[in-house]
Amino acid sequence: MTRTIGIDPITRLEGHGKIEIFLNDDGSVKDTYFQIPELRGFERFVVGRPIEELPRIVTRICGVCPASHHMASAKAVDGCFGNEAPVLAHKLRDMYYHAHYIHSHIAHFYALAAPDFVVGPDADPAIRNILGVVAKVGLEIGGAVIKARAQAQEIQQILGGRFTHLVWCLPGGVAKGIDKDDLEKIKAMVADLYEFTQFSLKLFKDVVLGNPAYVDLILNGPYCLDVHNMGLVDENNAVNFYDGKVRVVDYEGKEICKYEAKDYAEHVAEHVESWSYLKFPYLKKRGWKGFVEGIDSSIYMATPLSRLNVADRMATPKAQEAFQEMFSTLGGKPCKALMAAHWARLVEMVQNAEMLQAYCGDPEITGDGFRVVPKRITGEGFGIVEAMRGTLTHHYTCDENAICTSANLIVGTTNNNAPIHMVTKKAAAAFIQPGKEITEGILNMIEMAFRSFDPCYSCATHSLPGQMPLEARIWKNGEIVQHFKRGA
Amino acid sequence: MTGAPRTLVLGMGNPILSDDAVGIRLARDLKARLGELPNLFFCEECSVGGLNLLDHISGYDRLVVLDSIQTRGGEPGAWYYFDATRLRDSQNVNNIHDVNFSTALELGRRLGHHLPDDSDIHIFAVEVEDNVTFSETMTDVLEARYPECLEEILQAVRETL
Repeated sequence: MTRTIGIDPITRLEGHGKIEIFLNDDGSVKDTYFQIPELRGFERFVVGRPIEELPRIVTRICGVCPASHHMASAKAVDGCFGNEAPVLAHKLRDMYYHAHYIHSHIAHFYALAAPDFVVGPDADPAIRNILGVVAKVGLEIGGAVIKARAQAQEIQQILGGRFTHLVWCLPGGVAKGIDKDDLEKIKAMVADLYEFTQFSLKLFKDVVLGNPAYVDLILNGPYCLDVHNMGLVDENNAVNFYDGKVRVVDYEGKEICKYEAKDYAEHVAEHVESWSYLKFPYLKKRGWKGFVEGIDSSIYMATPLSRLNVADRMATPKAQEAFQEMFSTLGGKPCKALMAAHWARLVEMVQNAEMLQAYCGDPEITGDGFRVVPKRITGEGFGIVEAMRGTLTHHYTCDENAICTSANLIVGTTNNNAPIHMVTKKAAAAFIQPGKEITEGILNMIEMAFRSFDPCYSCATHSLPGQMPLEARIWKNGEIVQHFKRGA
Repeated sequence: MTGAPRTLVLGMGNPILSDDAVGIRLARDLKARLGELPNLFFCEECSVGGLNLLDHISGYDRLVVLDSIQTRGGEPGAWYYFDATRLRDSQNVNNIHDVNFSTALELGRRLGHHLPDDSDIHIFAVEVEDNVTFSETMTDVLEARYPECLEEILQAVRETL
């Protein structure tokens, strides 16, 4: 007889996931399934609309990373109009995107990762949250977190006119540039943000690396996968978030492929399982081989850690120092320890801040050549950016009147669907043992496996009460023998 | 009336995700029906949550939140009223991307933001049928119930103000 443990959300704010864990009679884990509902009909929704509207529409797909969709969509639309956006437009978009990254990464690190590491993975859930973090590290740091997020947001607002539901990117560029007064305001905030990134790195080293138990959990726990890595790189194989080529590197460090956005369909295919609404992307040329690890596997992941794993270097000096320190501490590159994604986010934030500094010193950044009105319709466009939680691909076609005829999206978290499924099973098998009580802390440590991916199933839907409560039930012979419920 | 508490009406949701738009639509209709009142402010379309929400609600004495909800067995068009004291337990709940509403409120208060008391955060939540299909229109069942729902919530909000 198989028992079932369900970690099941009661409602959702930002998409909801459900983990079903099937146990054997002896209490060991037989299998796990990570399931999420998929929003329906976006491709159909946009067909028949003017293609130039898509960057404005896609910001409403996802309330978590709207700027990522806006940028990928803008690039795909640029392609439909002959790719005429000037260099300044790309610089301004990139600048905006660095601020967006900082804004997002701060939330993930301090609100989602820090509770597990600062307060403790098996701590009472009543204190395992950002309030517990602030209680432990002090109100001053809490205030600094809020201030840094607000500054990153204000930079986005200055550049793009608003920070949600952007309407800034247009075919051939952006709707507005910045003047010298804007730049002075941004400069002051960027200086603060750079200091904040350094502070965050130090906090990670002090709190997480200073605790041998956490280091052991990161490096030797079940949170490691022998799968490959994907991420954008520039012409020097340095990390890039807005543009470049997609590079895939195996977990031993050997390049598998490197491709331009227009060639994505030659390299990535999507596998369907009857038990999941979400598809499972894999490396097309290798074929689908199942949920298997190993050097011949066709499974890859696209995470902050993956981005660093596929790159030869960071694009800026202080980030490069942090990159080298991270990999040297973790035992070399590539790193297979998924929890290192939390550290990778902080390294990325350093590059984001340094790139913002560089743009602030760019004499061209306040120029007025930020848009070229397209004069031709070429009919097809591809846009790839690194969303915070993975490589994001938009592919559109349009007719001679620039009306959308098709749209295809592969979003960041979808890339990670297979690895999330695999590591969830691995963590469940490691922590749920025959005869061992299944506690709240154990369930949290299983959750930590998929939370390290910062998975995004939101797509801007919203329903109360605005949380992801989890319910775990253990079934035996058709009856509930254990019941966990949080937040209800 | 100039001493009336500063009140923000927030319409929450996604305007292109079927019934998820109901909070936004209610906020727009309430703004039109209530007209201009002292210290009454509207944010008809708000799609942010967590820490970002602090920026929107700081400085107000009272909040009226209009949103969608899905409960097991709920009838589309039914609506519920509760205040933020009912959300306190959710501070212990993980959200996979950000802090939840209650946690954001508590953090804001600890950091010295001027925020409404939980009992001054009035939440009106409308039961919805479909919030996973992209569409600019609501489902027929919710559309049919909407006029009645609007009148009832309008009356309830008037009594709250």
